[in-house]
Amino acid sequence: MTEAELALALTALAMLGLRLAGLAVAGALRPDHPFIAWAAAVSGATLAAFVVLAVAAPGGMLATVPLPARLAGLAGGLAGYALLRGRLLPALLCGLAALVAVRWIIGG
Amino acid sequence: MTPPFRAGLVGALGAPALAMGATFLAFGAATAEAGLGLGWALAASLLVYGMAGQVVLLQLVALPGGAGALPAVLGATAANARFFPMAVAIAPLLGGRAAGRRRWLAAPFIAITPWAAGMRRLPALPEAARLPWFLGFAHASWIAAAAATAAGHRLAPHLDPALRAALLFANPLYFALLMAADLRVPAPRRAMLLGAAAAPAALLLPPAWGLLAAGLVGGTAAFLIGRR
Repeated sequence: MTEAELALALTALAMLGLRLAGLAVAGALRPDHPFIAWAAAVSGATLAAFVVLAVAAPGGMLATVPLPARLAGLAGGLAGYALLRGRLLPALLCGLAALVAVRWIIGG
Repeated sequence: MTPPFRAGLVGALGAPALAMGATFLAFGAATAEAGLGLGWALAASLLVYGMAGQVVLLQLVALPGGAGALPAVLGATAANARFFPMAVAIAPLLGGRAAGRRRWLAAPFIAITPWAAGMRRLPALPEAARLPWFLGFAHASWIAAAAATAAGHRLAPHLDPALRAALLFANPLYFALLMAADLRVPAPRRAMLLGAAAAPAALLLPPAWGLLAAGLVGGTAAFLIGRR
């Protein structure tokens, strides 16, 4: 087994452990237990932080997209979502089109 | 295939599968560039099944000379630590006593896309339909993730870097749209706003830990404010 395979196997086990532990802990609690409300708040906050970081300060390849294009992508998606009354797929395509268009215009 | 399972399956096709597939396509291409095989790419997509952790794992195992297995495992696990609170939060919605032990079947699929869909859709479904709906949605997402990873791995030499970067934006944009829909509900709105406010704190930490810290700080603040 190579090091990459070993790292992957151990990570996969850790992921399954996290998921099973979450189900087990919640299974032992009342559905209205504060810990469950806390876990939902942490999950929602993590998701929001993920979106803010992806737009404002991404890592990896997304960082090669200039900030104005990322902002245009977000604004285009949200505008599409509002105008199309909450239809996700067309709104998503609006956002990606806005990102590509602004990137092309500014030549970044 | 029961009707709720089929409804979940169909629910995943469209925007969720597209947003997730775009990201997994870019991931598949990145694994091929790092010299890793298709088997490794598919196993990472299906068994880790959380993009933040997959990216950290790939970055660390692809370093020249290798970073060592342990730092890669710790980094990827920290990046995906959200699976624990997400599993806790969705567990009561997976059908309660009606689901019984079968709710463990949901475990491998607890990841952002099925979780976000489940948190929105499950409360409106009858208890007996919830677990089958979630499993239907999850299977369609999982298969889409695998297909997109394989396509990305195969097509890597043909995917222009600018296109791949644009594809990576599909996932955060999809979650931004889902959150826009949730802004009317007080508890998720508080968590979102405080999570967004805590995001800059993530920049002070290594990338694998930053998201976890921002989520913990923002989410705990939202929870405490909600209880007052």
